[in-house]
Amino acid sequence: MNAVPHKNLKSFLTDAVRWNLRGGIAFQIFRIFLLFGMGFGIYAYSFQARFGLSVTGMNDIVSWGLYISNFTFLVGVAAAAVMLILPAYMFHDPGFHRVVIIGEGVAVGALVMCLSFIAVDLGGPLQAWHLIPGIGLFNFPSSILAWDVLVLNGYLLLNGLVPAYILYSHYMGRKADERKYRPFVFLSIFWAFSIHMVTAFLYQGLPARPFWNNPLMGPRFLASAFAAGPALIALILAIIHSTTDYKIDRKVFRKLRLIITISAIVNLIMLFSEIFKEFYFPTHHSSSAVYLFFGMDGHNSLVPWIWTSVIINLLATLVIAFNPGKDNPKVLLPACGFLFIAVWMEKGIGLIVPGLIPSPLGEVVDYLPTWVELGVTLGILCLGITVVTWLIRTALIIEQRYEGAD
Amino acid sequence: MKKQIIPFAIPGLSLLLMLLLTSFALANEKSFLDTIKKTVKPFDARSVKKVRPVTRKTVLALEEYRGGSFRVLARKQEIKRYKCSNCHGEKPVLVKQGFELTHGNVIINHGRAGNELSCIDCHSEDDRDFLEDKKGRKIDFDHSYKLCGQCHFRQKRDWLGGAHGKRVSNWAGERVIYNCASCHNPHSPRFSKRFPATYSVPLN
Amino acid sequence: MSSPKKNEKQTVIQDVLEKPSSRRSFLKGASIAMAAGSAALATGCMATGDTTTSEEMKLRWQEYFKKHYRLMTAEEKKETVKRLERLAKIQNDLDVQIGTDPPIENVLYGYAFNISRCEGFMECVAACVKENNLDRKTNTQYIRIFEMEPGKLDPSTGDGQFYHKVPVENKFYMGVQCFHCENAPCIKACPTKATWREPDGIVVVDYNWCIGCRYCQAACPYFGRRFNWSQGEVPKEELTTKQHYLGNRRRPKGKMEKCTFCIQRTRKGRLPACVEACPTGSRVFGNLLDPESEIRFVLEHKKVFRMKENIGTEPKFWYFID
Repeated sequence: MNAVPHKNLKSFLTDAVRWNLRGGIAFQIFRIFLLFGMGFGIYAYSFQARFGLSVTGMNDIVSWGLYISNFTFLVGVAAAAVMLILPAYMFHDPGFHRVVIIGEGVAVGALVMCLSFIAVDLGGPLQAWHLIPGIGLFNFPSSILAWDVLVLNGYLLLNGLVPAYILYSHYMGRKADERKYRPFVFLSIFWAFSIHMVTAFLYQGLPARPFWNNPLMGPRFLASAFAAGPALIALILAIIHSTTDYKIDRKVFRKLRLIITISAIVNLIMLFSEIFKEFYFPTHHSSSAVYLFFGMDGHNSLVPWIWTSVIINLLATLVIAFNPGKDNPKVLLPACGFLFIAVWMEKGIGLIVPGLIPSPLGEVVDYLPTWVELGVTLGILCLGITVVTWLIRTALIIEQRYEGAD
Repeated sequence: MKKQIIPFAIPGLSLLLMLLLTSFALANEKSFLDTIKKTVKPFDARSVKKVRPVTRKTVLALEEYRGGSFRVLARKQEIKRYKCSNCHGEKPVLVKQGFELTHGNVIINHGRAGNELSCIDCHSEDDRDFLEDKKGRKIDFDHSYKLCGQCHFRQKRDWLGGAHGKRVSNWAGERVIYNCASCHNPHSPRFSKRFPATYSVPLN
Repeated sequence: MSSPKKNEKQTVIQDVLEKPSSRRSFLKGASIAMAAGSAALATGCMATGDTTTSEEMKLRWQEYFKKHYRLMTAEEKKETVKRLERLAKIQNDLDVQIGTDPPIENVLYGYAFNISRCEGFMECVAACVKENNLDRKTNTQYIRIFEMEPGKLDPSTGDGQFYHKVPVENKFYMGVQCFHCENAPCIKACPTKATWREPDGIVVVDYNWCIGCRYCQAACPYFGRRFNWSQGEVPKEELTTKQHYLGNRRRPKGKMEKCTFCIQRTRKGRLPACVEACPTGSRVFGNLLDPESEIRFVLEHKKVFRMKENIGTEPKFWYFID
């Protein structure tokens, strides 16, 4: 508990590692499980590296699958950190100010996963240096994917550096200078909206894919992200609240519930608007939606998937909105969990795969991920969770000591 | 009060900026068809280097193609029993079942059903080394398009222009095109039914 | 902290790219382990198992750091072609000739397809597979032929997988391939400019520059692009050895490929393989900038249409009816 006599950047880093290696048995088992998951991911990826993407379930028609689905969804989770940053830094909400660092940790973890999912999806990941401006050739501003590379890395930088600066200041026992980081906070708010809008534009801008070529996609991305992201953060805060002595104000949960409710309802309204457009007068542009919701030519692997998602989404939104348990966490937290899963199902596989089916020439196929894809995905999720736990553990210890010193 | 506007103004402004920038990328180009329409100067297709000349036997066509000459694949060397006058001389051929023996493979399926063409509708009766049109003009086997074009004048017009038939090997260099009988069996000009050369794999 | 490292890396790259002599000395200096590791990395191979010679490793290393095709000087093009030919010899004992023929001046290629003539014989598909060294294992095909019901013109209503005697009464046939759009969505989508339109209108891919993100495949409204899900396989005796850098040369796994109007043939004045193979003359190919070309005749004298004209991609591929 005593302050280390010579604190500097080096001791900051070594302390962060030291704190993370300590912990109870349950925590260590959790860590080992994550390590095992990552190891399995690397093992699965080795097949992909050797034989090419043919070991995945993708083909020339369904050319994007589980990886890009997860990427798309996780961009939303990363962007959702702004729902903590906005009240914390803009409105100086004291409750949110204590938890914003956790939101930023989740954002960094989500971004690491996003970039990993992109990397494993590439046919030539070693050629990725072609994307580095200056050495490579960057198709900017024409390619929305080029925009996405830029905004994702920028957001990662912002969400890494601002909290790192604040934490480092607190670690050194001094107050972080708000004048220094405030511009970057502003920037990161702007950036959070951009990452999700740009990712939506990635799909929205393709005339070849009527299912995606839909002006509601960007706003709906935001609405679903601001429901699913805070739902995840609420769960993480609840875990922190119950397993550590970093206690979180009930007010924070109440405000998060408000954010989730509004976003989830807006999301549902937009979903119904989309469904109305597709099915009131079905054109041949509706064929992807028909495939998704009802199946086509005997192919219907996504039908149970999407209906499950829609039903869970509806029920979870109703529970969070009407609060039947009167703020009982045993009712609200599972609802948050289910909402998160429902949005993952819909904004991942339920969005990417049907966009590619039927093919522009009308062929209908089904997509099923292989064990390699599932293994790599598991590995990346474990990597992301590891990053989040490392960051949050370090942050909480520093914050607690800083608060204690005050 | 002012502070509360900023958080909403920033994302709004940023989106605007993004849209502006993407619309730059979207700047519409004018149609390339306008450029094509404007080019009236003929392209010297013979100036293309590395064009390999057609090795198959060709003859200079007796027609014009857009004011210039062109060549067609020769036909006579493809006919196995040419010259016909080797058998069909001054006197009529009087071999028993001679037709079945030498021309048994010829099945005429040309002309409307019930009104099929007969040999001498196209072959010259006096000089078997030639074809003959309805006006009694002799036509060389190498220039059968002159004969076919009597009835199939639409196809001939397209063939002369390039919408029917095709060029041999090269798009550049001197214009050499397939003759009617290079693709169509003159006795049975329709392509017969057959299995495709390959197939597309089932995609699932 | 990172900038000197980056500079160093950059100079190494420049060395490798620019000076053949210094490249050699640099590589001599590098330890064998490092070269082995990087060569394995550069090809994405986890130890191929067979003995890789130092020459092969050197060539792979140089190939890995080469420039985008459009930025290469004539000299650099010659060198990479030499390397690729040598690698084909070392790795697969193949004698290939890879050309880099530039576009011909005042040429813009156009294509027309006669839907009332095509009988579905699919000779074009077979010729294309052979000419372009398409992967035989997964049966990659650039061209698709759809058997269409009368009264409909959208290939999504047709059958793209028929195999029975053709032509079938009362059906017509429609071929689809890359349309080499003037306003191509795939070019706009590519994040590394690995696909572009050449001055003669051919949309090409630099197979070595592509990173395999498949965004172009999602962007193409015509299903005109194919991905190398694994390393393509072509029997040695069936290989077309006359190749082009942007055409039918060997594609590494994980890269995008597509119809190039047989760039290795057309830039030498020849017809694409599909046109040459077509037994019915349904395929017309030529120079749009030549008012006396066959393709211009079709555009001027026939009623033509293009697929999905409403999305403004401006394909250089027309359908026409006799």
